[in-house]
Amino acid sequence: MSAAILMRNLVKKYGQVVAVEDLSLDVPKGSMFGFLGPNGSGKSTTIGCLTGLLDPSAGEMEILGERFTAESADLKRRMGVMPETLGLFEPLYAHEFLAFVARMFGLDETTTRTRVTELLAALELTDTRKTLAEFSTGMRKRVAFAAAVIHSPEVLFLDEPFESIDPAGVALMKQWLRRFTEQGRTVFITSHVLDTVERLCTAVAIITKPGKLVWQGDITVLANDGSISYEGQEFRALEPLFLHLTGQHYADLNWL
Amino acid sequence: MNLELLGNLLRLRYRLIWAKTRSRSGKIALFMSGYLLLIVTIALLAAGGLGAGAIAVRAGKATEIAAVALFGVYLCATIGTVILGFGMNAIFAESEMRRYPLRARERELARHIVAMLDPYWYLVVGLDLGLLVGLYLYGAGFFLLGAIAVLLLYVCNYVTARVVSTIVERMVARRGGSTLLMMAIMALSLGPSFLMPYLQQHPHAVHPYLVWGKWTPPYGAALAMTRADLSAVWGLGLIVLWTALLGAAMVALERRPARARVATSGKLQWASRYERVGAFLGPQNAILIGQWLRFFSRNNRFRMMYPLSLPLVGFMIYAFTRQPGMAHGAKVEFASAMGAFTIIGFIGTGQFAVNQFGYVGNGLRRYLLLPADPAVALRSSSYTFALLDAVLIAVGLLVWPFVSRGPFDPLMMPLLAGCSLTGMFLYLAAGLWVSLLAARRGNYYSSFGNDLSFAGNVVLIVSMLSLVFLPRVAANRWPDVFWSGYWWVTLAAAAAAAGIYWMSLDRASAWFRVRRERLLATMEGRS
Repeated sequence: MSAAILMRNLVKKYGQVVAVEDLSLDVPKGSMFGFLGPNGSGKSTTIGCLTGLLDPSAGEMEILGERFTAESADLKRRMGVMPETLGLFEPLYAHEFLAFVARMFGLDETTTRTRVTELLAALELTDTRKTLAEFSTGMRKRVAFAAAVIHSPEVLFLDEPFESIDPAGVALMKQWLRRFTEQGRTVFITSHVLDTVERLCTAVAIITKPGKLVWQGDITVLANDGSISYEGQEFRALEPLFLHLTGQHYADLNWL
Repeated sequence: MNLELLGNLLRLRYRLIWAKTRSRSGKIALFMSGYLLLIVTIALLAAGGLGAGAIAVRAGKATEIAAVALFGVYLCATIGTVILGFGMNAIFAESEMRRYPLRARERELARHIVAMLDPYWYLVVGLDLGLLVGLYLYGAGFFLLGAIAVLLLYVCNYVTARVVSTIVERMVARRGGSTLLMMAIMALSLGPSFLMPYLQQHPHAVHPYLVWGKWTPPYGAALAMTRADLSAVWGLGLIVLWTALLGAAMVALERRPARARVATSGKLQWASRYERVGAFLGPQNAILIGQWLRFFSRNNRFRMMYPLSLPLVGFMIYAFTRQPGMAHGAKVEFASAMGAFTIIGFIGTGQFAVNQFGYVGNGLRRYLLLPADPAVALRSSSYTFALLDAVLIAVGLLVWPFVSRGPFDPLMMPLLAGCSLTGMFLYLAAGLWVSLLAARRGNYYSSFGNDLSFAGNVVLIVSMLSLVFLPRVAANRWPDVFWSGYWWVTLAAAAAAAGIYWMSLDRASAWFRVRRERLLATMEGRS
């Protein structure tokens, strides 16, 4: 299967601080790919580089078989992004914002209005009297998700998509994402909710500070009650593997 | 009252001031020099107050002169707070205060004490204290009573400013409120200029109104500063009474929740009039310019400033050029009009053009994700300002034949249009660079206050003031240059300015791509 996203020796530095170190990844087309790591490990920075928000200090990126830079406008048209900070225009109403995004991605007026109306209804964003600034965090996340998918992208980047969204919303999003990959499209997700990643993703990559890849592999075996072997140990779930790989442990504070 | 926690909050406030500057060593130096400057300014103001006190006593009208001086300080402090946001930014929001173990009353008191101890109010107290010392040294009043009056007046002034700013905030949250408010401010500012000729002819007409002044807090403070009898105590009582009344109003206002403006219809509005307007600059720009127009049309600051920018320019030229010592005459007046039209070229969008992404916040990230050149955000916002400025220029030119005081010459029109276009293009070019190199995150929902960087302020204020005064000075020195026969010169200047603008747009677009990460960090509050 050819790679939808390909990174070779990606490096991102802020001055002397290394945020991503020599990261190489292959994300197959049609996969639901989980990109995991502890806080501050460089997940959002990597997504920033992959979506044109940030310029990598070194390395190559390919998306859908074409070299990607911040100025690859044609490629961006085939990508959908839900960034960590959402990037909403707060004074607008949800339908105005979504219509703006749809028009910018080249949808005609009829398709724009149809899709906006359908997305708002499906995601239960029907309170048209509130601006985005007045929406709750979960509703704003739904709007950002809608903006990412409105143009039916071939590759979808979702940075912490499920945080603050209620269970019904998460279930709906997961259903859409599964259908999305069934159609041969690719989803690249970062999340700290490892249970969800375990159930949803077919493959994951785990990085540690500073943006260093420590493990990448297929995790479908976990869904079938199987286990993943690593350094002679068997892991039956993603969480213990993640904690083992990232060297994280639960601190014990006796006063708490 | 939890004094320890209050002390911690005060320290936090000053740490936050410090934190704004500590990111770069140069800023630390700037901060230190700023504080030194503040101390020097307070000393100078105190000296000025002292001089006023001396004059008041020597003139034999100590109470009246002190009252006028105190009233001036009181008014300026209130206006400075309400319009520019000085001092008020120090107030912690109720939601922030709720994080700490404080009761409702303690929270309320703590918020206001922290705000009152903002450096801005030291300037006000410095002025009042200077006046008191001056009065005392020249033998008027009793120092202790005067010192109490200064402290009480300071509290009263703060409460007044708080009440006025809360009313203003509530007013601008309503449809049309911003424009009404700005009109009120302008009427208050213009009023004295228009009334002065009448009052010069009828000086006694004002006396019945001055009687009311004797019931104001500054007059009460003046009584306490200059008298050593029962009237001084009455003066103190007057300030306390006002403080109590205003304090009650402040509490009532703060407890009454602000009514949010909501859309009246629940139906989706697809009308894309903004995009249709945006399409004037080409179909490829229509969506982005439409987006910017929609964005600004909901901004209180923009809705307030844009429609009033033409009358404001008229007022500035009228008020400033009538100062004693300014030159007069037909050519000087026309030079003034040329300056005014140059200002019209940028004033409507001036404070936004030098901080193009200041109010977008996280939205800047969205522009960078669009399937377009990243710099398209910079260019489209600049085009939007050009479009909005062009409308003001057109209105200004249409109005000009009716307001010009000298004989009308059709050649004036291309000449003034040239001035406006030159101003617009040069200012927009400067705005591109300031927006890139000295961007600052602003508060979209705040109606007042100064959200510009130092460079932004310099460009805006220097441009305006120089165009108000320099044309008159130049016309006085070289009067033959300012006449409509040279109309082609300003059109040539406009063409040159347009060239500079296009070049800047090109270069700034390249810079935008390089600096976009830093801009993102600024707008998302990470630096």
